[in-house]
Amino acid sequence: MSEHSLEIRDLHARVADGEAILNGVNLVVPRGEVHALMGPNGSGKSTLAKVMAGDPQYEITGGDVLIDGESILALEPDERARAGLYLAFQYPVEVPGVSIANFLRLALNARREEGDEIGVMEFYARLQRAVKALDWDESIIERNLHEGFSGGEKKRSEILQLLVLEPSYAILDETDSGLDVDALKVVAKGVNAARGPEFGALVITHYQRLLNYIVPDKVHVMAAGRIVKEGSKELAMELDTRGYDWVRVEAGLNPVGDDEHAPRVGA
Amino acid sequence: MALLKDNAAVTEAAVDALIARFGEPDWLAEERRAALRTYAATPHPTSRDEVWRYTQLERFAIDGLELVDGPRDTSVVDRVSMRILDSDAEAALVIKNGEVVQRAGHVGESGLIFTDLRTAVREHEALVREHLYSVVNATMSKAAALDAALWTNGTFLYVPRDVEVALPLGTFTTADRGGLSAGRTLIIVDVNAKVTFVDEYTSEPIGERLAHHAATEIVLKDGAKLRYVSLQNWSREVVQQNKIRARLARDARLESLTVSLGGDAARAEVEVDLEGPGSESEMLGLYFADEGQHYNQYTLQHHASDHALSDLLFKGALRDASTAVYSGVIVVDPGAQKTDAYQTNRNLLLDDESEAVSIPQLEIKANDVRCSHGSTTGPVPEDQRFYLMSRGLRPEVAEHVLVTGFLHEVMSRVTLPKLAQYVERVVQAKLGVPGVKEKL
Ligand SMILES: Nc1ncnc2c1ncn2[C@@H]1O[C@H](COP(=O)(O)OP(=O)(O)OP(=O)(O)O)[C@@H](O)[C@H]1O
Ligand SMILES: [Mg+2]
Repeated sequence: MSEHSLEIRDLHARVADGEAILNGVNLVVPRGEVHALMGPNGSGKSTLAKVMAGDPQYEITGGDVLIDGESILALEPDERARAGLYLAFQYPVEVPGVSIANFLRLALNARREEGDEIGVMEFYARLQRAVKALDWDESIIERNLHEGFSGGEKKRSEILQLLVLEPSYAILDETDSGLDVDALKVVAKGVNAARGPEFGALVITHYQRLLNYIVPDKVHVMAAGRIVKEGSKELAMELDTRGYDWVRVEAGLNPVGDDEHAPRVGA
Repeated sequence: MALLKDNAAVTEAAVDALIARFGEPDWLAEERRAALRTYAATPHPTSRDEVWRYTQLERFAIDGLELVDGPRDTSVVDRVSMRILDSDAEAALVIKNGEVVQRAGHVGESGLIFTDLRTAVREHEALVREHLYSVVNATMSKAAALDAALWTNGTFLYVPRDVEVALPLGTFTTADRGGLSAGRTLIIVDVNAKVTFVDEYTSEPIGERLAHHAATEIVLKDGAKLRYVSLQNWSREVVQQNKIRARLARDARLESLTVSLGGDAARAEVEVDLEGPGSESEMLGLYFADEGQHYNQYTLQHHASDHALSDLLFKGALRDASTAVYSGVIVVDPGAQKTDAYQTNRNLLLDDESEAVSIPQLEIKANDVRCSHGSTTGPVPEDQRFYLMSRGLRPEVAEHVLVTGFLHEVMSRVTLPKLAQYVERVVQAKLGVPGVKEKL
């Protein structure tokens, strides 16, 4: 399993000094494949995504995350990114005062040696290709990072960055949520453009509708902080019509889990 | 509590020596002597004084320092030459420990006077006499009294009625020796005239402590417009106290920017008297303290007239156990109706060791006014830092982006492109952004 995959091994994590959220996640996305991760609200999907990217608000209490067989848990978030990991955030933040173009230039140069900065022409060509692939207006790259962006524009920006940065593995956290069908098609087009033997992705979503456009090689279902079921793309359709209760029952959990409701207090 | 002490070199004899050396007219000699008497009669500030609260007063101590009597040599060091070449200024004056060591460029506008204050006393005595000490005088503070008695040189700028000066002018105040020094800027913009002026303070490492006092007097007549920048980037041995004050007549407009980047400690007082209806004052401030620097700013928006506007935004970032104090007051006189007065101070703390204090105050004695004030002090938003790093940006680059983002609100309103680039570069250098060297 180690060669060319994004692998999560028995991962346990909690909010720093707080309650456990991930309770032994096992999941492998081989490079060249796109997997879907589904699961009820609060089951830990975003936490998993952020823990993998190195969000300091979480503490890992067990297990491992590996990129192509190498553990990345000791790496800082920027080092993980340079190792090829990319997270499209469920809620991308606004950073005032830095344009998308400048930001992406810094991000690309961070992946290169000092003195080997990307050329202006090459950079803009790359940026333009990505903007075009998303049917976007070129003026967007001069706007400050997500400042005054609509929810949909932020999601599109996450895909734009993915296309420019060309990671080996991407985690897309509900990039489809809040998008109308046209925007959804555009986002799917972007992801499909990135698809290929050198790219693996874990697509977190609540909706089968996205998976019509990004057809997954495999579907994982998360509940109460672990993967409780895996299947083919048909599983996504089944979840869409039947909901999650039956999966939970199969996994020995209450049909309506407390992970679907407001936060539990205390450890 | 450490108390400030007198300096034995600040004496009547020292003032008389200045007067004799510069061959000054009697009226000025009298002003200086009176200022010294006021200085002697004024107690040193203590941290119990409202406007000095939280200030690390001992860092501004002047006892034991010799009065600076001219530069060691009159060469213009690279750091200053580079700044002149790279500035927006069309014409520049370089004043080194009180001596004019360079006059660069020239100004074409007829009737415009741009020279050093000592020369102006000789060549434009009536103008100087009418305005000198009319905005900043010895009664305002101990430091103002010291400056009024002991200033050795500075800038004199007079823009005649209806003259619009196309390109910016600037003075570089520099030093190659330590001690106690005082300089002064006097700017008079006549009716409907317009100009941009930059006061920049910079030096190469001096090797000894310099306590520099500055006073900046600005007179804006009816309809006059001034963009004024005070940029402090002294080497780390320098402590500076600067009182910048402007009087605005009817429909005058001042856009000021006060930048603190250098020195060991610096206090900037930025004060406006809105004396004419329709006058407007935009007041921007930007500071970035590192390696234990201490910045102290006091601002006054004094609305003496109706229908005037003042809009203040001071933002600063701090790291490496640095400290900053912002204290600002909006005063609206009785009768100053239809006042618009806004004041905001924001501080970004880049580490746990740094500290910022913000004390905004309002004294409003009119009833038909729009005023707001606010301040925030907080750490770097961790979600933003994580986002940037998740795209591969190294921690120092991410921090730079966040600081830039934080300061953007001020920088985006700075209309001098080269100055903005320079500030940006100094900030990058202070953050240790790889590959960015402060070209000095
Ligand atoms: N920083 C945090 N502090 C406190 N609780 C947290 C934190 N992050 C996540 N949680 C809790 O952990 C649980 C899992 O949250 P997470 O956001 O990972 O769920 P999710 O599966 O992404 O849900 P959704 O489908 O609604 O996006 C929730 O109960 C949430 O409240
Ligand atoms: Mg989520």
